[in-house]
Amino acid sequence: MSYYDIDSILTDSQKLPCTFELEVPGLGILEGNAGEDIKAGTRIDLPLWLGEMLSIGARLGTSRLVTLDMPDALSERVMNALKADPRTLDLRALAPHFYNLSERILELFEEEEMVDVLTDTFKKRAAEIADHAHNSRGAVGDGVDFLRGLDETERQLFRAAHDRAKEMRIWSGEARRK
Amino acid sequence: MQTYQTFLSHALQTNQRQYNAGLRLNWRLNCILFVMAFPLPRGVTASEIAFLAEMETVTVVPRQRLESLELLGGPVEPLAPPRRASLPLWLALLLKRQRRANIIPPPWLHPEPLSLILDVESQHQDYQNAFSPPPPLPGQPSVLDRDAIASAKPQYTPDGNRYYPAPPFLPHNTAQTTSSRDTPSLPFHWVEVGNLLLDSASDDLVDPDQIRRLLKDLREVRMSKMRSGVEVLDEAATGGGGVALTGVGSMELGEERGFITGVVDGLRRIGSSKEQARREQMAEQRAAGGYDATQDEEEDYMEF
Amino acid sequence: MDIDDILASVDHGPGASPESTALDHQLLTRFWVAERAVSEVLPWPAPLMERMMDRVRIQVHPRPQSKTINNNLTRNQIETIEDLAASSGDTTVPHTHNPNLNLRLSILQTDLARTQYLIRSLLRARLAKITKYSMHYLVQLASRDNTQTQSTLSSQNPNQQPEDSVPEIASLTDLAPLSQPEASFLHAHQTLLAGHYGGSFMGSFPRQLRRLDDNAGGTSMVQGPELREVVFVRCLGAEVPVLLEEDEDVGVTMRMGDVWVVRWEGVKKAWGRGEVELL
Repeated sequence: MSYYDIDSILTDSQKLPCTFELEVPGLGILEGNAGEDIKAGTRIDLPLWLGEMLSIGARLGTSRLVTLDMPDALSERVMNALKADPRTLDLRALAPHFYNLSERILELFEEEEMVDVLTDTFKKRAAEIADHAHNSRGAVGDGVDFLRGLDETERQLFRAAHDRAKEMRIWSGEARRK
Repeated sequence: MQTYQTFLSHALQTNQRQYNAGLRLNWRLNCILFVMAFPLPRGVTASEIAFLAEMETVTVVPRQRLESLELLGGPVEPLAPPRRASLPLWLALLLKRQRRANIIPPPWLHPEPLSLILDVESQHQDYQNAFSPPPPLPGQPSVLDRDAIASAKPQYTPDGNRYYPAPPFLPHNTAQTTSSRDTPSLPFHWVEVGNLLLDSASDDLVDPDQIRRLLKDLREVRMSKMRSGVEVLDEAATGGGGVALTGVGSMELGEERGFITGVVDGLRRIGSSKEQARREQMAEQRAAGGYDATQDEEEDYMEF
Repeated sequence: MDIDDILASVDHGPGASPESTALDHQLLTRFWVAERAVSEVLPWPAPLMERMMDRVRIQVHPRPQSKTINNNLTRNQIETIEDLAASSGDTTVPHTHNPNLNLRLSILQTDLARTQYLIRSLLRARLAKITKYSMHYLVQLASRDNTQTQSTLSSQNPNQQPEDSVPEIASLTDLAPLSQPEASFLHAHQTLLAGHYGGSFMGSFPRQLRRLDDNAGGTSMVQGPELREVVFVRCLGAEVPVLLEEDEDVGVTMRMGDVWVVRWEGVKKAWGRGEVELL
């Protein structure tokens, strides 16, 4: 994680379901009840950076304030859909920084199978991205929907592939001839 | 921001460090606004690659005399028609554009060898997922005798370091290099040299239209290989792994560089928790003295 | 001055053979490609750059001031761009005398422009990295200085300013991987930047938040280049294994002429030995 990386900051602000293990006085503000207490067992979505900070006790095995749950974007249901066909999912709708979020989540949870599913997903979608990026006519047909559903990492990948291909076409004179 | 601050002071006042951390996240955003953008993509760009290709040596037939020259790129032999001379491509093109010389096309830049290479690229069983073999480096055995042992003989730099020459500083595009025994092969800068000669010296080429078509077909066949190679890129995402791209051209590599590094970087980050776990496990095994390095050896050699 | 004299071929002294000129040009080209290919700043090739700059000076002007120049070169009548340009504008010399004058001039100028492009692009690429990872390189350099008091001690200073986190490197002699001018640039740049931060927004922060080398909150502000990134290399030695320092794990083995996508950290040592080149 890089300090000056805007994507890493935005990833840190993505929400994660957290369950409070202890009663916390005065923290009702998180639920929209300023001044109230938060009861043990309360489930609230907190930004990743905050949830992680509050759950540190849990990972050290001492008293913990909250326990973290898998975000919806990485639920069992999503994993099954990705296994079936990674190309049809709108990752952007699930989480704008889908892969960055996964990377952070995988630091917190031990999920070997998720690593495999995501690796396969990323590869298959990357191949599709390359095809679209090299199409000088731009996105057409189904491609439009697919490209709209790219998460931020994938968008950057598309841009890298597209820009270099374009640069090459301009150098060779193809782009001007168009 | 008010609620955020209030919350922090309530919940985290017991821990100054955590308070700092929270506030810091906030002004990290401020800092970013101040970090100067200096956009410079990693890896040479298309025009820089063409600049490199212009350092390739080609053979010319001069149409006028010219005394020898001492250039910063090295000495240039005197020109005396009709004797052939070897010149850097940029100089050959400069003379060609002024009608002071004709360029003898590199041996591979003819319709027959290009069709032959295209057949290998598209039909040959061994090269379904790999590029046709590039011209060998000095001391490297040709693909014809696979059993021969490579003997890399370095030159020494003025600072006493080893130097093994490589493209664009090898005679891969000069007229005299190929003996009849050699199979034709595409040099590292084939896209650029082909393109530059088609643009500025097409009257020196044999059937330039045919050559243009063949180069285009070759590019397409090879680009699709490059792209289908995404499947094996996770081999390069692990520590000591890698993916072979032997035979790739400089411009082809430049075109795919951002994409390939992006994919490998993404795969590495997705798998980083797994890699970390593997490292820890190995460290434990080593600590226990039971680690046998050979058991971990797997065949990582992958080709597109 | 007679142009034929200017154009006369010359005997070269030792150390200035045409071969070494060509070799240095190849070394500079390869180094430029390498510098463009990785995120970290590569070790400054001081002797190579000195030889290159000496040649550029000779090519432009016949009597350079630098005393490092080989005497044999300065003694000889070396054709130079300045001399040629002067002659081509000299109407007292009949143009029929040497019809190739303008051609030679344009070749020499193109050659010079190409070399200048290489050097400028190399310096620019290095400056881009040096400014991007400024604190990383400053901290790295300062860590070699044993006499320096830990700068973190000063964090108790009530007048703490962002500039205080810029380490002093003036007394250092080992500046690798930077050149002396690069190190001075780096220090001056970061001092200015820290002053600017302080004046524009950090000055109004609590003093413990005014540092630029903090790592509270688990994320260090000092960002260095990513060594795990992949690079494209050509294997030049007979056989080169990809090595990972961290766990002494031997990876794939590359063979002569191969081109591979591998981690930079795995081939960095082989690159240093000249057994692989970056593409």
